[in-house]
Amino acid sequence: MAFRPRAFRWPLVTLFTALTGCGSESPTTTKPFTGPSLSVIGHGQTTVRFTAELWTRGNVAYTTTWGQRSGTAVGNAVYLWNIGGNTPVMVDSLIVENATTLGDIQVSDDGKLLVVATERANGSIVIYDLTDPLKPSRLTRYQTPNTSNGVHTAEVARVDGTLYAFLSIDPPDAHLVIVDLSNPENPREVMVRNMGNPFVHDVFVRDGLLFTALWDDGVTIWDIGGGAKGGTIANPVQIGNVRTAAWSPSAGGSEAHNVWWFQDAAGGADAKRFAFVGEEAPGSGGSQLNSSNGDIHVVDVSNVSAPREVAFYHVDGAGTHNFSVDEERGILYAAYYNAGVRAIDVRGDLSTCPADQKAADGRCDLRKMGRELAAGLSNGQTFVWGVHFDGSFVYASDMLSGIWKLTAATRP
Amino acid sequence: MRFRYPRVAIAFAIAGAIQLIVPLAVRAQMAADSMAPRDSTRASFTLRAQAIGLVTRLDPGPADRAYTEGYLAQPLIMAHGRVLDGHLSGVLTLDFEGLTLERGQLNMGAYGEGYADRRHPHTYLHEAVAIASGAFWRFGVSLAGGKGFVPFGTDDPMTRPFAAYPVNHHLAQILERYVVIAAARAGPLTLEGATFNGDEPASPGAPPDASRFGDSWAARATMTPHALLEVEGSFASVTSPEIVSGGGRDQHKWSVGARLRQPLGPLSDALVEWARTDELVGDVRANQFTSFLAEGSTSLSRASVSARFENTTRPEEERLADPFRYSRNPTDLSIIGITRWQIGTIAVSTPVSVRHADIAPFVEVSYGHPTEQLTPSAFVPQDFYGSTSIWSASIGLRLGIGSMAHRMGRYGAGVPNVPGGTMAGSQHVH
Repeated sequence: MAFRPRAFRWPLVTLFTALTGCGSESPTTTKPFTGPSLSVIGHGQTTVRFTAELWTRGNVAYTTTWGQRSGTAVGNAVYLWNIGGNTPVMVDSLIVENATTLGDIQVSDDGKLLVVATERANGSIVIYDLTDPLKPSRLTRYQTPNTSNGVHTAEVARVDGTLYAFLSIDPPDAHLVIVDLSNPENPREVMVRNMGNPFVHDVFVRDGLLFTALWDDGVTIWDIGGGAKGGTIANPVQIGNVRTAAWSPSAGGSEAHNVWWFQDAAGGADAKRFAFVGEEAPGSGGSQLNSSNGDIHVVDVSNVSAPREVAFYHVDGAGTHNFSVDEERGILYAAYYNAGVRAIDVRGDLSTCPADQKAADGRCDLRKMGRELAAGLSNGQTFVWGVHFDGSFVYASDMLSGIWKLTAATRP
Repeated sequence: MRFRYPRVAIAFAIAGAIQLIVPLAVRAQMAADSMAPRDSTRASFTLRAQAIGLVTRLDPGPADRAYTEGYLAQPLIMAHGRVLDGHLSGVLTLDFEGLTLERGQLNMGAYGEGYADRRHPHTYLHEAVAIASGAFWRFGVSLAGGKGFVPFGTDDPMTRPFAAYPVNHHLAQILERYVVIAAARAGPLTLEGATFNGDEPASPGAPPDASRFGDSWAARATMTPHALLEVEGSFASVTSPEIVSGGGRDQHKWSVGARLRQPLGPLSDALVEWARTDELVGDVRANQFTSFLAEGSTSLSRASVSARFENTTRPEEERLADPFRYSRNPTDLSIIGITRWQIGTIAVSTPVSVRHADIAPFVEVSYGHPTEQLTPSAFVPQDFYGSTSIWSASIGLRLGIGSMAHRMGRYGAGVPNVPGGTMAGSQHVH
């Protein structure tokens, strides 16, 4: 067979194109925040593991850990911090065996129990007695076939006086498991239901209503005893659903990640009207630790059977994660990953605004409404997973470096 | 642990079964071959069994450890039959890696289906495809359906000269799906279009989710401008490959490849390919992965010497307690990093044929250099492996019995013509 070099000409052009096309890409960067800051009071640093969620009670903060760092350090630790002073000081740690990510943590409302979720393989919750908050005593590790996929979040809430844990279980077959913690040494499963597309990521429980964040299925509100629809904790009855908008019109689904049904202590006509939904979208051209997307969506739930989105808050080049709300002052604190922490005024009517403060789809833009109060850790050097307002200070868990203590925002 | 010995026993049982089945198959093939020239409308049937026994050392691997392991890799039984002068044919490939490679095969940079730094086992029913072929005007046409390869990308690594898979396997091929393929061929041009299910296999024994059939599609054009050369370009739109139930990141995939069809100078075979996969959430591109790969083989005395270079980026996802496994449900649809793998591989084998068997002892050495593409990254190769210089070496034996009249990954008119060789609509036999 004769060899004819001309036959190879365009494949060579293709090859050149291919070689030069093997580039990389960079994530979108955030714009600097120019308003008031949530000032740093202190920094409890740890870089052995990636930090995940946090919770505080009194002078103690508990932070969980995530993934794998430095080759062998996996997210199997809970760190205990003394936060009585300006700088959080690590005082102890708990290790959960056969775990690689402890994604969620919460102290019960009576301060007696600490509940830690283990994600990925060996999904479970680990329950500790907090008689001595600095020396948690393990009561049990609750693990069943219904939790083994991995517990993404474990929300601890009281319904009709009984303490329950609401476990959002990872796919395949994402589902919600509700566990009765009346006897914390022997938790009892009271409900399992498939939900979420493809995830059920978090819940919020208040006044006998259950709000579930179902990713592309948006947020569903269930009656579990307070919705007058015959629902119970063992048999929730769906009342309403809202598909919140995507941060970008081309981004597709709701990516509903977390919910907070706000009840303004100041009262008024709008006191129980709004729920805030966190949208967690992957960053554009990046990965965890350097890129994120997703807005805060304001949902009017005055008619729980027909909730509707009325407003949103957007940060360019960053996405939100978990919330903590100062309901006394009407301030929402949102973890914003690569954009740090944002404080937003959520008191009053969030659904009404002039035309120039609306997006094209008619929703009010909280930024244009002047409701952005302050930001912290917004220099792009942190990746904030969670926030917790303890009544005086704001604590932020930074995946890269540990826990930060910040001043709280003030109303104008 | 308690399953280890039964699996070894099963592996030996497979080897035994191959020994029993293949002589029968070879006789069937010989009978069919001897009949074919006299009456081309008669049925033909070929059968091949093959496997690779090898020992591999990876140094360093995860957690800065060296690993040395032995396997029976790629234990396959492949059958191809045709009737009605080739107008109706079928392909069946059984893959027993689920029994012999459940923990995965040490393979530098490999990833996919929940395995990383080990190649995952393929499904037991690797291919089962029925093909109807014919001629329409000046075109050869075919319609194929079943479980098998999607017309996208280049030839499967299983059919190429290396035991170690390239990192880009999940960028450059799509396989083990329920698929329907329409193909047309005229002269040097071959066009294929297909629809299939996007979900990747969940385990060796898990079938695709039939309810998702049709949620993904692919198209490939192949040109043979010269008898020496075959060039393909392809695109695939794959819905939620990683999350089987749907709702995960979607993929848009591109591939361009050129392969040498016949020996050219010192080269006995060669392949150059470029591939790109965009991962999408809605229509927003979340990540992009690219690959460039070049490989070729030459003969030196009785030995075949093959070399490969690839430059591929791979996604990193959260590892489990077993550092070779990762979660197939990425947290919040985010990955934890992107690693660029630059790997050079050299393989030397000395193939010999004994009656109907082909035996090829081989030695294969790879050097890899992984680096993180994004900073900060939750996956830093230097930290995870303890080094960014990684060596891998394998020694082993390829064993095959019987022959195969089928080019793996292409069906019916999707097999390109040899210029000046076959007629439109004719079956290309390897």
